[in-house]
Amino acid sequence: MKSKLLYVAASLGLALASVLSAQAQAQAQPVKFALCYDLSKAYTFISPQVSQAVRDYAQILNQKGGIEGHPIEILVQDHGNEPQRGIECYEKMKRDGAIVFDFFSTPVSKAVLPRAMKDGNVMIQAFHGRGDAVDGEVFKWIFPIGPTYWGQAVNDIQYIKTKSNNKLKGVKVAFLYIDYPFGQEPISILKTLAAREGFDLQLFPYPLPGNDQASAWTLMRRFKPDWIISWSLSNMHVVASREMKRNGIPMDKYIAVNWFNEVDLANIGADTAKGLKRNTNVVGGQGHPLIRQILKDLYDKGKGSGERKHLNDIYYNMGLAIYSSVFEGARLAIKQDGWPLTPDKMRRGMESIRNFDANGLMAPMTVTAKDHGGGGKTRIDMWDGAKWVPQTGWFSAYDDLVWEAVKKDSAEFAKSTP
Amino acid sequence: MLFRQAGIFHTDYATNRALFPLPADRWMIIILLLLALSAPFTMSSLLLSTNVLPWLVWTSAALGLNLILGWAGQFHFGYAAIMGIGAYTAVHGARNGIPWEIAVVLGGLMASVIGVVFAFAALRVKGLYLALSTLALQYVMDWVISHVPAISGGTQATLQAPGMRLLGQAVTSEIALYYVALGWCLIVTVFMLNLRRTALGRALVAVREKDFAAAVIGVHSLYYKLVAFATSSFIGGISGAILIFTFYRAATPEQFAVNVSIELLAMVIVGGLGSIIGSYFGAAFILLMPGLMNSLIAWVAQLMGAALGVEALAHIPHAVYGALIIVFLLVEPMGLGKMYNNLRNYLLVWPFGYARK
Repeated sequence: MKSKLLYVAASLGLALASVLSAQAQAQAQPVKFALCYDLSKAYTFISPQVSQAVRDYAQILNQKGGIEGHPIEILVQDHGNEPQRGIECYEKMKRDGAIVFDFFSTPVSKAVLPRAMKDGNVMIQAFHGRGDAVDGEVFKWIFPIGPTYWGQAVNDIQYIKTKSNNKLKGVKVAFLYIDYPFGQEPISILKTLAAREGFDLQLFPYPLPGNDQASAWTLMRRFKPDWIISWSLSNMHVVASREMKRNGIPMDKYIAVNWFNEVDLANIGADTAKGLKRNTNVVGGQGHPLIRQILKDLYDKGKGSGERKHLNDIYYNMGLAIYSSVFEGARLAIKQDGWPLTPDKMRRGMESIRNFDANGLMAPMTVTAKDHGGGGKTRIDMWDGAKWVPQTGWFSAYDDLVWEAVKKDSAEFAKSTP
Repeated sequence: MLFRQAGIFHTDYATNRALFPLPADRWMIIILLLLALSAPFTMSSLLLSTNVLPWLVWTSAALGLNLILGWAGQFHFGYAAIMGIGAYTAVHGARNGIPWEIAVVLGGLMASVIGVVFAFAALRVKGLYLALSTLALQYVMDWVISHVPAISGGTQATLQAPGMRLLGQAVTSEIALYYVALGWCLIVTVFMLNLRRTALGRALVAVREKDFAAAVIGVHSLYYKLVAFATSSFIGGISGAILIFTFYRAATPEQFAVNVSIELLAMVIVGGLGSIIGSYFGAAFILLMPGLMNSLIAWVAQLMGAALGVEALAHIPHAVYGALIIVFLLVEPMGLGKMYNNLRNYLLVWPFGYARK
């Protein structure tokens, strides 16, 4: 008798529990974001920080109830910078129900892009991959949030222009770059701009892997540049700083592309790097309220998604900034078109982002169906020996030239895809 | 017992020289073929399109490299560049309105021509020196592709492959693409199987073993080396083109960079020099094992409740994978193909193992 009663009670309890959990599931189906990153090969100088930032921010948002009541689920997988494994990851995550895909590797993004375009899936392509993908009319599903390399290059020139009393004629600008597609990308737009503004542009390529830049800098010394725009990554900046010292070129002429972080700074030395400038669309440092909240709510309680030292790194902030916009896009999508979230709703959500700066963490961006980059605003920061000091406000210049370059390449793409 | 040899009598040369004289082998081939043909209907589309399809294409490329490395005994460190030449030629051809089949063959021919031109220069040297000069081919091709926008498709360095039309029919579905890859892989396999019993194949083996000795018995070693380079480059070029049309759908320089050449070399060496089934095993091991290892380690970590960081989860599989290559090569230096052969030889006389002694 007693055992029977127990049995009934237990089964009732079970049934109730299952009903409750089913209800909970219906209420809170997760929004899935797929991060297929290169965590083991070429992009390891950035991927750990970015993926950690994304997971930290997702935790913070989930504590507050997620995106419009739906928890965020971040799926991370390594693809080792191999296109084949990136495609595998994409196909797997697609079947797992991911709504947004991010590959953070130029070779892999290039390889997955035709599939994402064909399937109609939202692909985030911030700071890597094809620059012309900001053209939302051709690349309907690709969102390269942030500035293009073309945009960064012309913003550098605009900064130099303001620094030389709005007169570029006769100013000597050296373009130092690693001789592969990443470094070669800004060349054509810089040449066009040099013809328009009349400054003296010279190119200084150095070969992969960038450890030996001696020949470029010997020529540089003879050129006596007024400014050096540098398209280099991580340790290449350190090598460049050494060569600058050797050739007696002062540090304050050096404007780095956005790929310059606190690790490189420490390797150059905080004192030596004084005067160095960097183009960025994200605010560096740990002063932002969101980062302070992450430190307090997660890392002080031992709930962080990785090592605490990764937080003092602009790439961490960059990850937060990129995914603030992505989560904002998802929020807008659910708010506008309701649950369940589909790729098409997600795309429209992303295209509804207006003047969003993640509470002052990054340059304000407005994504539209035409412009998937968000406006391409950046600013120049200078290292003063202890902290980064903004030299300008957020700005973007020569938009006509940038869009001319974008349209030229995207038209080529549009022509070749039926 | 499984590979019964008793009672098989060859009464004419044709049966004696058949590719597979044992019925057991023939049965196995038929079963494997049926499995391959029915794969689109039995396998998940994920497995088919992201694992099996690239595996078949890479296997055909590995077989092509095996021809030059395993059969003719000539090092080739630039095989990815050869594939790249084929791929870029075919894509450019197809974009300019040349029918797909002809464009792909053109890709193979172009790879073959450039491969032979390079071989003329490279074959003045031997062994390690040859290896280095083929590596130079790789670097020259990398440089040319990334510095000539007309080839690479502009500053973005991506060349979109147009849709594929085979004999006038548009091939778009995953299943159709799989059959194209399977078809090419089968053609290369049959060619390689038959190469063994042709005069060309025997001449190549003679050159591999000792080129002076080959010259003494009347085999013109330079000529056969060039033929080997040409044939192998042709296979590589077409495999590269097929890889782009069936799998990547866009050609970028990174897909044919030096690390891919090293991977191909690893496929052939891990699989076994001169072994056809070994090329299948080797391609599977090098291409699919890292991804497989990744899921396996993640699954084991989840099972044991170990909270590993994403970085550790990404790095452990690489370490295990590297260790596995070493273990396999220590256990059987002749590669995975030889392992299969050992098993087969054991089963040939099983359960009467003493019969062999």
